[in-house]
Amino acid sequence: MKLQVSSSPHIGTKLTTQKIMGHVCIALLFPTIAGTVMFGIYSFVVVLVAAASAVLAEFLYNKITRQPLTVNDLSALVTGMILGLNLPPTAPLFVPIVGSFFAIMIVKMLFGGIGRNFANPAATARLFLVLSWTGFMTNYAAPVDYSQGFWKAFVSGFTKEYVTSATPLTALKGASGAVPESINLLDMFLGRIGGSIGEVCAVAIILGFIYLMIFKIIDWKLPVVYIAASAVAALVFYKNGWLFILPTLLSGGLLFAAVYMLTDYSTSPNTTIGRIIFAAGAGFLTVLFRRYSGMVGGVSFAIVLMNLTVPLLDRIIPKPFGYVKPKKEAARD
Amino acid sequence: MSYLFNRGIHPKDKKELTADLPFEVMSAPAKVYIPLCQHIGAPAKARVSVGDRVKAGTLIGEATGFISANVHSSVSGTVVAIEQRENAAGRKIDHIVIENDGLYEEEALPPLENPTKMDIFTRCYDAGIVGMGGATFPTHVKIQPKKPIHTLIINGAECEPYITADYRMMLEHPKEIVEGISYIKTVLGAQKVVIGIEDNKPKAIDAMQAAVAGTDITVQKLKTKYPQGGEKQLIHAVTKLKVPWTGLPADVGVIVVNVTTAFAVYEAIKLGKPSYTRFMTVSGKGIKRPANLIVRVGTPFEDVVDYLGHNDYVKAIVGGPMMGLSIANLNPVVAKGNSSLLLLDKSEEREIEPTPCINCGRCAMACPMRLIPMMTDRLILKDKIADSYKYHPQCCIECGCCAYVCPADRPLVQSQRLAKKLIKERMQ
Repeated sequence: MKLQVSSSPHIGTKLTTQKIMGHVCIALLFPTIAGTVMFGIYSFVVVLVAAASAVLAEFLYNKITRQPLTVNDLSALVTGMILGLNLPPTAPLFVPIVGSFFAIMIVKMLFGGIGRNFANPAATARLFLVLSWTGFMTNYAAPVDYSQGFWKAFVSGFTKEYVTSATPLTALKGASGAVPESINLLDMFLGRIGGSIGEVCAVAIILGFIYLMIFKIIDWKLPVVYIAASAVAALVFYKNGWLFILPTLLSGGLLFAAVYMLTDYSTSPNTTIGRIIFAAGAGFLTVLFRRYSGMVGGVSFAIVLMNLTVPLLDRIIPKPFGYVKPKKEAARD
Repeated sequence: MSYLFNRGIHPKDKKELTADLPFEVMSAPAKVYIPLCQHIGAPAKARVSVGDRVKAGTLIGEATGFISANVHSSVSGTVVAIEQRENAAGRKIDHIVIENDGLYEEEALPPLENPTKMDIFTRCYDAGIVGMGGATFPTHVKIQPKKPIHTLIINGAECEPYITADYRMMLEHPKEIVEGISYIKTVLGAQKVVIGIEDNKPKAIDAMQAAVAGTDITVQKLKTKYPQGGEKQLIHAVTKLKVPWTGLPADVGVIVVNVTTAFAVYEAIKLGKPSYTRFMTVSGKGIKRPANLIVRVGTPFEDVVDYLGHNDYVKAIVGGPMMGLSIANLNPVVAKGNSSLLLLDKSEEREIEPTPCINCGRCAMACPMRLIPMMTDRLILKDKIADSYKYHPQCCIECGCCAYVCPADRPLVQSQRLAKKLIKERMQ
């Protein structure tokens, strides 16, 4: 009888890269469904197109470079879904296609594919799209009005007159001292606001977070520290800061980024201390950009900027168990 | 309160296969092959030649040098050959082949009453006792540390999945273990003795607690977690002391001894019996009738498997599934340090197909030595030896937690070993 011979350990977890990415996809379905309900079926098409073109982009890259297929690990699907959820519900369909190809081909695969890219593909692609098609990327829509019957509204989605660039985030821009009256915290929590497809519904994002925690896919420290740091930064940067903490956390893509984008394995540090610095820095920068920069949002910029510090943060090497400082050799005279 | 160390993993313990089965004696085969090196250190020198008649317990291999151990015959009969065979690690070493005459005549050392320190030490040396937990470090060397010892920890954690030999030992021979412990304590002059047992073995905890009543030995319940039985982890869990990364337990005044070793010490002193039987677990779905066996040293694994019967299996492991050695065939023999033989079928064994590291950091979160195995893996495969040195692979205890949790199936333990080896060769 032929026996297998291999090095220890001989048993191991059943978890694979593919399963991890599958769990993330399932967790991403929560905001996808919430966004679809808020903005109608077209927003689902946007996410679908983004996801499909991301997978296609990776497939083509594998074929062009004649490398083994890597689409099976589902990481391209995750990137595509995250990018799609980062788009406004009115985006014309070429936007997710261009964005996904940029994210996968340039940001991810050119730097070595899964685990090797230094910046978050979805966040970078979003920045690229904002800079290239600022108009399309800021055409938000008010949630669909379901009072006239569900299916009709759901299928036709937003109508032209609903398109607006006003979101709670733009309302907050420039405000200080008192929160603008248009801000309704309950609406923001439930997602009855304008914004990108995936970011509007805080409930769905929290459900996704719980799902990811149950399956131990992400490290809770990243989102928690990020949110805490953002709250502290809001307290500091705004006059009467305590009034701004909840509006800051619930507006824009902050929660979505905390759960799905900051926790990206490749672009976050390896060590606990590194992760805390990384998440705290990202939270601080997010609010700093929102408050003082010319842009409306700051999440993507903050994440990409902090991504660039990860190689530096990874130089922090924890001391092994039982580490003792080597005794200094006696100075020679 | 349960004590524990930092990080580590929770594999399924699978001990239910054999936990309730009392030890049964397996009779020796017609021929036993006794390896002259069953321990860490210099191999023993053969003291018999072909044609000699030996009894069970006759000294057939003599320790050479300080770190070495005596080897005794496990059956009575005639020496028919001295030949080279592969041991479980795949190394060719000398084995003394003895034809079993089936009489089992015994040759014992004189039992000792009220032994002195020197008596105990000499007896451990004479009886060829080595660490029974798997490391097989000669016990007579271990109980002679150069530094004063304040705490003796008895390792009953048995954190490897499947294995129940130490557990059964604690249930069936608690009194004897405690007596063995008291001898070791006398030699070391330790003030404190703690028996550490994982909390998934409540019956063993009860049995030991009953046995230590009236002595100053305490039983410490430990949290079930792998590698709780790792020396440095166990010491940290029980005493909160950290063994220096380059040091030995004696550096913090602690010695760790396995429960089965304590039993062997008892046998050697009270009964005068040298170390030639092995209490072991034979388990896994590949075994038709999993069991806890008392096997004579030198019995080929093939005979053990034939004795219990087997189903289809794809892998045979000597030791636990986390740190044990997989063997290419069943020719190697049972040695003093083999606490188990596992035959795994396809459903239990892990198929490894390495994929790229996704940087998830699970290995770093699992490493009880606080290393970052993925970085060593990445650097050493590119031959960046000096860079990988910064990640301290030389501290790795090869417990396998990193590779266990890796979703990308990276061979992390191998790369740590490779890094250790290359650093030793090229940098020191």
